[in-house]
Amino acid sequence: MKRLLRVALGILTAIGGFVDIGDLVTNAVVGSRFGLSLVWVVALGVLGICLFANMSGRVAAASGRATFEVIRERLGARAGLANLAASFLINLMTVTAEIGGVALALQLASSVYYLLWIPVAALAVWLVVWRVRFSIMENVTGLLGLTLVIFAVALFLLKPDWGSLAGQLTPAVPEQETVWTYSYYAIALFGAAMTPYEVFFFSSGAVEEGWTVKDLLQERINVLVGFPLGGLLSVSIAACAAVVLLPAGISVTSLSQVILPVAEGAGKIGLALVLLGIVAATFGAALETTLSSGYTLAQFFGWSWGKFRRPAEAARFHLSMIVCLLAGIAVLATGVDPVLVTEYSVVFSAIALPLTYLPILIVANDPQYMREHVNGRVVNALGMVYLVIILVASIAAIPLMIVTGAGA
Amino acid sequence: MLANPAPGPAGRSTHPGRTNVGALAPAASALLGVALLTGCSSGITESVSTAVKDSSSAVATARIALRQDMAGKLTRAATSTTLDDGLKELQSSRSTVLKLSPVTTVDRGTQRQALDALDQCAAGFATARAALAAGDGGTPSLADGDKALADAQDVLKQLESTVASP
Amino acid sequence: MTAQPGPLRPAPKVAGRILDAQLHLLDRQVLDHDGVPVTTVDDLELAGPAVDDAIEPGTPAPVLSALLTGPVLGTRVFGGRPPSSRLIRIPWKDVAEVGVVVRLGVSGESLDAGWVERWVRDKIIARIPGGRHDPR
Repeated sequence: MKRLLRVALGILTAIGGFVDIGDLVTNAVVGSRFGLSLVWVVALGVLGICLFANMSGRVAAASGRATFEVIRERLGARAGLANLAASFLINLMTVTAEIGGVALALQLASSVYYLLWIPVAALAVWLVVWRVRFSIMENVTGLLGLTLVIFAVALFLLKPDWGSLAGQLTPAVPEQETVWTYSYYAIALFGAAMTPYEVFFFSSGAVEEGWTVKDLLQERINVLVGFPLGGLLSVSIAACAAVVLLPAGISVTSLSQVILPVAEGAGKIGLALVLLGIVAATFGAALETTLSSGYTLAQFFGWSWGKFRRPAEAARFHLSMIVCLLAGIAVLATGVDPVLVTEYSVVFSAIALPLTYLPILIVANDPQYMREHVNGRVVNALGMVYLVIILVASIAAIPLMIVTGAGA
Repeated sequence: MLANPAPGPAGRSTHPGRTNVGALAPAASALLGVALLTGCSSGITESVSTAVKDSSSAVATARIALRQDMAGKLTRAATSTTLDDGLKELQSSRSTVLKLSPVTTVDRGTQRQALDALDQCAAGFATARAALAAGDGGTPSLADGDKALADAQDVLKQLESTVASP
Repeated sequence: MTAQPGPLRPAPKVAGRILDAQLHLLDRQVLDHDGVPVTTVDDLELAGPAVDDAIEPGTPAPVLSALLTGPVLGTRVFGGRPPSSRLIRIPWKDVAEVGVVVRLGVSGESLDAGWVERWVRDKIIARIPGGRHDPR
């Protein structure tokens, strides 16, 4: 029974922790402008993240080392430094977007201007990183994030025309959009689903929680059941937008538009649940990205790291995270729209994906670290296919950004 | 015993003959980029129709929010935030239209029409926000706010059709 | 015009392991006696004849004297060499084991390489309430 509870907890936390501000915003934008014609990208991204999260968890469980530690050892200082620079900057952008997301959701709940919530949100993130135990942090934010299932509930309550919704699933460019904006948003959605920080966080978290080879089965279940269900959540966000906002000619540019379909279908209770869910999911993601910034820096330079250590025993690790949070506050204090930061962060995540995933594929094939747990042939084949997809998306992103004016 | 010593700092070999060619490539691509970007904008109709699209999205959002508030589905805080977000969107569209530099008389007329339509939208938002602040049973009522926004939406639709078919 | 050197004598047999500096030492994590990470190996210092000196026959082979860390990473990637007095060294005699990670036989507290960590700990982290709290 206890074992079953642990499995359930793992899956539920994975579902609730899957969605972050990038998924919320990008899926809503896509649903309001393209209907469900880009859902195939979500499926592609979910499969990709399942593949690579599984791989990086296996690396951590088999070798006892987190992925970024091994990147420097395997690829050398120069490639590792380039990888670090790109990953760290994009991580920082994502931290900023997540904290902005928490503040925006709190503004919707309270009517207090979001800029006033930003220092509060950042301080709360820091306090949890400073004091709260890793497993408690993951479980609480993951379970609370499950309330986002209200998107699926609201979708049913809206009683949409299921036939025409299903008809939208075919990958076709809607008439009011161009093939360029379609491709641009396909890349954005892909980057939102395959967030790079997830992989760093997942493998470092495996070391934090002391996973061994015995835990590999649990980890596989978490990923293979939890992430696809999380992907279904993302699709329901897009579907809600497609049912309520698309027919009204509304294209999503703010968080308030994302929640309107839920209020439409489920009233004030739905509104309360969705705001709770957004705060929990973005707060959890803010924690994960902040920790990822610390992990990547500490693992590259060989600093002592980990939430399982006293802060005094991992001083530079904690200091770097404090600096990241301060940088995030500074960027948001300039008044830049957090939704805009989010939209850029998912596209830049897509651009950085090859840097993140290629090393994982290399390390997961190295018998010196993995011993008998190296990748099988199927996993390697899938990994190579995804590497090609990731490279195509990464190379096409910037030209498309220029041609479409960042999706306008 | 070590096989090889530590890799020392790599000597930077310079190729003096290469620098000229290397400098041309980024300049050429910059020129191409500028040509691409300027070629994309065709008069002010493009910018005006984008502004109209964004504004009608904002107005439609505000109408949905008001309707949900009247039906008791939305809290005051959420409605007022939605209206504020819509107003911000509207204001940025208006400032884009304002900053255009029309050349022909037709273009100047289009800009004037667009500004008038956007001002009407802004007035509709003002009524809606005042209604929200006035609370239930105050004046203006939420229904008045919705009516003002609906009128603004019609004006925008008219403008859209004139801009689309000059 | 130097005379053509004769064929080299075979290298003397050595006792112990043969390591490749690039593969087994560089960029490896250094853990101290208690398993706490200290740094990564950013570069290596060799004692022996300098780079441009002529080597007399019978000169003993260069010896690895220290692991290097700190700003030397920047010069390793971008070029150049910091002056000897600025190098942060972990003497080779402190190394206990070389495997997937490099283990030292001493505690990180006494090492030069741990200076930045100790400074950040004492001046910043320990001053924030809860800095010494054990999370478990």
